[in-house]
Amino acid sequence: MRVTFERSGGFAGLIVTTSVDTATLPATETEHLQQLVQSANFFGLPAEIPAAAQPDRFQYEITVEDGNQHHTVRVGEASVPESLRPLLNWCMEKARGS
Amino acid sequence: MARNKRCKPLLNHVCPICCILPPHMNDQIVLNGDSTQKEWALQSIRASEQFRERRTIVGALNLNAAFNLATVGEKRRTIFDASTGTDLPGKRVRGEGDPPTGDVMVDEAYDGSGATYDFFYDIFERNSIDGLGMRLDSTVHFDQKYDNAFWNGSQMVYGDGDGELFNRFTISIDIIGHELTHGVTQHEAGLVYKGQPGALNESMSDVFGSLIKQRTLNQTAEEADWLIGAGLLTDKVDGTALRSMKAPGTAYDDKVLGKDPQPADMSKIYTGKADNEGVHINSGIPNRAFYLAASEMGGYAWEKAGKIWYIALCDRLRSQSNFKRAANLTVTIAGELYGPDSAEKKAVEKAWKTVGVV
Repeated sequence: MRVTFERSGGFAGLIVTTSVDTATLPATETEHLQQLVQSANFFGLPAEIPAAAQPDRFQYEITVEDGNQHHTVRVGEASVPESLRPLLNWCMEKARGS
Repeated sequence: MARNKRCKPLLNHVCPICCILPPHMNDQIVLNGDSTQKEWALQSIRASEQFRERRTIVGALNLNAAFNLATVGEKRRTIFDASTGTDLPGKRVRGEGDPPTGDVMVDEAYDGSGATYDFFYDIFERNSIDGLGMRLDSTVHFDQKYDNAFWNGSQMVYGDGDGELFNRFTISIDIIGHELTHGVTQHEAGLVYKGQPGALNESMSDVFGSLIKQRTLNQTAEEADWLIGAGLLTDKVDGTALRSMKAPGTAYDDKVLGKDPQPADMSKIYTGKADNEGVHINSGIPNRAFYLAASEMGGYAWEKAGKIWYIALCDRLRSQSNFKRAANLTVTIAGELYGPDSAEKKAVEKAWKTVGVV
């Protein structure tokens, strides 16, 4: 499985990106990531989640490729579904660490 | 999103986001949003319902009297503390006229929103964000290590920063002015937050944020640094600020943050999808046009260039206006104010030409 993450916008307008391939992760982390994708019902989320027009909030784009499944979700900070938040937080931690 | 003029007089006092979110979306958020979103949405629904109720009662009464609005020229600031949580507005910690609390973020938010109010009132005779004396509410210490500040449609919100890359977001007065100007834009041109209109929306916030700082420091166009967010980056970062209106693309170049992505002219305009199609990136183009026009005119930038841009924001720009439209409008306004052959009109024309918009 491969996860590609981008956070843009915010007052600073910085673009933060990361890409994680489970082939490079320890087994426990791979399992954790798979759980996050599953509990977010990621492949069932709409491609665009409309956000309230709140200036300077972050914008996220996340893509998950898993076998023959491939899906991208774009979402504004003010509209992130609770179920997706742990996955976004995990990606942001990875982006900060890399 | 198109601006709802009917909502204009009430949005500010009782209806925090009803003009931004259509009611069905509020309902949706109540069903599916997180706790903060739900609270906002509920508040919005309650407020609009309350308003409809009151509107029938107050009838033809003066709106100002009906809503106990402050006297013109009187600010009404309230600072709240989210205590690193995300519930808004949080605990009330300082009201209008209260002495400093000793919490630097609380006091900076208080002073900065005061300077912003005074700027718009003294220079443009504008009574607060909506022109009708709207309360200035700010929440500080939002979330944990939150690297951001934003305007949620009814109030300002500031994060502490992570301490590694970013300091607290109240540190620079132009950030406070930037956030409040988003409120002004919401009530005036209503520029949609996407693509070129979104970059104009961002640029208006940078322009007036910078002018508020310049006035506070009593600086002429020549003396000003034209930086946005000076002091916000920690000393671990190679950079002086987040944006430079004078030289977009040069504010920082750092191994962690990367390089300032702002284009200085149309030849390098960003066409990707990130950042709502580059609202914080392409704002560099109109930002530089303002800097060039103001510098050419000389003196205090808010006196002439600021006035031209303010009239464009309040009376001429529309929600979908692009850079070219902004250029043509500001040239026209400069001609109306200072004459068709005036140096001011030529300065505005030259500025937009230099950045490649006209």
